[in-house]
Amino acid sequence: MIARAVVVGLLLLAAVVLQTALFPALTLFGFRPDLLLLLTVVLATRDGALAGVRVGAVAGLMADLLVSSSPVGLGVFVYGIAGALVGWSRPYFAPTSLTAPLLLAAAASVLGTAAYGVLASLLADERVGASLVLQGAIAVGLYNTLLAPVAGALVRRISEAFPLRGAGTE
Amino acid sequence: MFQRRRVRLLLALVVAVAIALVTVDFRSGDDGGLHRLRGVATSVLRPIQDGVGVIVRPFSDGAGAVGDLFAVRSENRELRARVEALEERRRVLDDLERENAELRDLLAIADRTELPTVTARVVALAPSNFEWTVTIDVGALDGVERGMPVVDGDGLVGRIIQVTPNASRVLLAIDPSFSAAARTAQTGEVGVLDGRGGDPMVLRLLDPAAVVDVGDPIVTSSYQGGVFPAGIPIGTVAQGTEETSPLAPEVQVNPYVDFTRLHHVVVVFTTGVEDIPPFEGTDGFDFRRPPVPSLRDPGATDGGEDGEDEDGEGQGDEDDGAEDGEDQGAEDDGPGTGTDEADDAQASPPLRGAAVTGP
Repeated sequence: MIARAVVVGLLLLAAVVLQTALFPALTLFGFRPDLLLLLTVVLATRDGALAGVRVGAVAGLMADLLVSSSPVGLGVFVYGIAGALVGWSRPYFAPTSLTAPLLLAAAASVLGTAAYGVLASLLADERVGASLVLQGAIAVGLYNTLLAPVAGALVRRISEAFPLRGAGTE
Repeated sequence: MFQRRRVRLLLALVVAVAIALVTVDFRSGDDGGLHRLRGVATSVLRPIQDGVGVIVRPFSDGAGAVGDLFAVRSENRELRARVEALEERRRVLDDLERENAELRDLLAIADRTELPTVTARVVALAPSNFEWTVTIDVGALDGVERGMPVVDGDGLVGRIIQVTPNASRVLLAIDPSFSAAARTAQTGEVGVLDGRGGDPMVLRLLDPAAVVDVGDPIVTSSYQGGVFPAGIPIGTVAQGTEETSPLAPEVQVNPYVDFTRLHHVVVVFTTGVEDIPPFEGTDGFDFRRPPVPSLRDPGATDGGEDGEDEDGEGQGDEDDGAEDGEDQGAEDDGPGTGTDEADDAQASPPLRGAAVTGP
């Protein structure tokens, strides 16, 4: 269990590094993918709401501290709720569906980015307009959807190597 | 069930922590603990980011270069189109600049003539190879009349020979049928300028002893009907009088105007001076015959009723002669074709004038 937490933590850290070092040169319509949100969604899709809330809270905190300049806690709030919602929606999709993870990744990325943008504009950055939030949400949703198969494969390998046991499973 | 409750509790805890963090972050400002924590996290992560950046930078640069390749191609097409547009615009500007210079010259020469003018655009050239005319886009509706001189910024272009409501035809000064009074600007030697169908034109000087040098400017003269305002530049002397026959002094004149590149011209609103009617036809003119010795009495002067009768006969004879001369002049197109009666009629007006101006 500890090993899995460490691996997931390193995975999130790697996502932060890639998001800040590699993807600024690989923008889509001027926007980068939100790898932390993508990992939260993928982990919640595979392991359930509890894992989604845990990973989402940690990923949100890392985003608050390392990626964004928005108020600390905003990422925890948005990513945690996104992980819970995706985890709760998992029983309504077929376990073997190939499109369900993509749809969840797309919807969660669009809604999560939009919510983060709206809250950020309300709390801190008043320059973020509605059109910019909409553009960013669509671009991040598209980018995360494209990267979702890669993230899904990576998470599946980690889950197979470090499976959840006990109360963490749902 | 237990698991779902646990998720709810955890989510509530996460939300509460998030709200608390946001609140603390807002209240603490830039000196708060969370701000320092963010700084520490950034400092810890910075070396990792730098190291990873060194590793992934070639890949990101390569990926960026691939993306830039398409962007560069697109930008190249855009820049080429822009260059073409700018080149087209430059050509238009060159044409506008030339047109502006032409119009300024026209304005200057219109001011020099001190006469009403109208600017026109040359819209067509002569349809024939042996007709040196152009068509301009102003006509009778603009006040243009036949015979009006046409100039451009360089000098004399020609005269109006045909007028329609919205267009006119201009006989160019180089046309063989064109003729105008001219003089040298420096010495004032007058003559008649004729076109020759191209460069140069010919100036026939009236004074056989006139001396004109190469390069002397030739301008229009208002004498001989005054069709053209005086002083309009025509050209420069290309061949002096010493190279021509002294009996019929002619000089060749290179025109200032480039008749192959006429774009804008000015029609000067002036016409030639109308012919002065004969004194006899003037109303209220008191004609008195000069004293003539009586045939019956050579020593006495005529002043009685006989003399008045003879006045009437003599005037009638002169009227006939004048009418003959006018009719002949109207029928003849050029010199040298008149009859003896016409020559007599042409010679008669000065005689009449001498008689009229007598006591």
